[in-house]
Amino acid sequence: MTFNPLEQRGIPLDRQLRNWRELAVEPVDPDRSDPYTRCRIITMNGIEVEAILFSHQFARHCQDPEVKRKLAEVRYIEAQQQKAVNWLLPGVSSVLETTISYEQVAVDLTAWVARAEPDPYLKQAYQFGVLEDFDHLYRYANLYEMIEHRKAEEIVDQLTEVMPGRPTPLHHRHPVDNVREPYDRRQTDPLSKLHALTVMSAEQQTMNFYMNVGPTYMEPIARKLYQEIGLIEEEHVTHYESLVDPGETWWEQLVHHEYNECYLYHSFMEQESDRRVKAIWELHLNMELEHLHTACDLMRRHDGRDPAEVVAPQLPNVLTFEPNKQYLRELIADQLDLTTLGTGYVREAHERFERMQQQLNGDGPAPSDEVMQRHQEMFGRDYRVQTEGEHPAFATGHWN
Amino acid sequence: MTSTAQTPDAADQDDVVALLMRQHGDIRNLFDEVERTTGDDRRDAFRRLVRLLAVHETAEQEVVHPFARQLFDGGQGVVADRLAEEKHAKQALAQLDAMDPDSPGFLPGLRHLRTDVMEHARAEERYEFAQLRRRADPERLAALAKAVKAAEATAPTHPHPAVQGAAANMAAGPFAALMDRTKDAVRKAMGKDG
Repeated sequence: MTFNPLEQRGIPLDRQLRNWRELAVEPVDPDRSDPYTRCRIITMNGIEVEAILFSHQFARHCQDPEVKRKLAEVRYIEAQQQKAVNWLLPGVSSVLETTISYEQVAVDLTAWVARAEPDPYLKQAYQFGVLEDFDHLYRYANLYEMIEHRKAEEIVDQLTEVMPGRPTPLHHRHPVDNVREPYDRRQTDPLSKLHALTVMSAEQQTMNFYMNVGPTYMEPIARKLYQEIGLIEEEHVTHYESLVDPGETWWEQLVHHEYNECYLYHSFMEQESDRRVKAIWELHLNMELEHLHTACDLMRRHDGRDPAEVVAPQLPNVLTFEPNKQYLRELIADQLDLTTLGTGYVREAHERFERMQQQLNGDGPAPSDEVMQRHQEMFGRDYRVQTEGEHPAFATGHWN
Repeated sequence: MTSTAQTPDAADQDDVVALLMRQHGDIRNLFDEVERTTGDDRRDAFRRLVRLLAVHETAEQEVVHPFARQLFDGGQGVVADRLAEEKHAKQALAQLDAMDPDSPGFLPGLRHLRTDVMEHARAEERYEFAQLRRRADPERLAALAKAVKAAEATAPTHPHPAVQGAAANMAAGPFAALMDRTKDAVRKAMGKDG
């Protein structure tokens, strides 16, 4: 289906405001809803949070009071959208359960984007990152069984495997090695711009979530694990945000944000299994079309350029939440021992990496390893969901 | 998938909050098992669920709530809210207990109960257990855990006590009878270990 959001009009901006009754959404069932419905909710929350934060930053760099007022008007609606989306999550879920869903998002969203990404350098960045989120899922799943006696398969429902990826203690790289090369805004496929923005927003939300909920845990081991993985999420935000061409003007970035929101709401509307949630995606798509229209007007007026020059002429194929098990197994077999050096990737532990590792992990085990030791003591095994057979790196000697 | 065997004895359960939180997970696991099985397997899983709920709730009522009630400002109110939730769930469970697990009304009733029990468990974890960890010293939390475990080890497996009349049992419902007998066992264990 061809769909050019630049040519569509949505709900007029002055009719988008919702009252309390309309904002009081009914949460999804914590145990019986589609895991990918929860993934779509978490993704769209991250996208709306980025929309709000970006708009605030834009306003702080903006001299024109008329533009500031227009940004404020759209931003308030986006703040309502964020509430309607994130409040679909159920209050009875524990923080760890929501965390496991966040990691399922990180795994299956990043893996899908890696598969769909046309640019080889950008594809490599997603392939590199996803193996780390994959290991975070494994560590949190083991912590979950220790604290709540529940198995993560009740959350991820065997759509996503739970087993070791690149070992979490090895994710702590020197910060300068987290900065990648940006794409070229004049050459790159418009789809690549959407991918970078989507994955960056999702990781940013994960970083914000962990940095805020980590200290709400009483168990020392949980507090430590959130600190460790929270720091890695910061590395991931650095990694993904540096893919975006910093030469894009504020106006151009605003258009990309709104276009991406149209793309994702459209994608999720197409695949949503929960009728009630689907209605929210559809409503929000119709709101976003108008936000995009407003952003395009601003770009034409203040940048003197036609937005059609910088975005795709029609929405790309729908971004889909689906199992990526075989793809992930291939990546584990091929890329587990990679780390970064400058803006590239190497297989050797170089001097700067070793120094950082020594400083963080040199005086006792990393929390992510302590979780596994404690789990082993409690249960005499680790927790995994391997639906597709033996671990692909079993033979490499990383684990036994 | 690797081993799904539970080895709860190996678990580090010397803190009453950790112990009860894990039991909340075990209760949810049993709800899943009842929902996913049929016939005799479902009957068996449901009996185990009823027993665990009886033992767990009784231990909370006899061991944890009285302690929490006097531990912090507002403890009375927090415990009263939890007892109201427990009473509500107990009624729902008694209704379910009277049904054939393969009858058409059973699963909707079970799902309803699952939601009630889960909301109750989260409220305990957030409003009551958090205060226990905050205000009680580790030795006390360990002693409470010991009392809970001792009580559970001696708890009856069947709702029909020999000493009580069958008529009284039927009037109160088998679940209530099971809770009564567990209460006796808990009090005995508390006298010994508390």
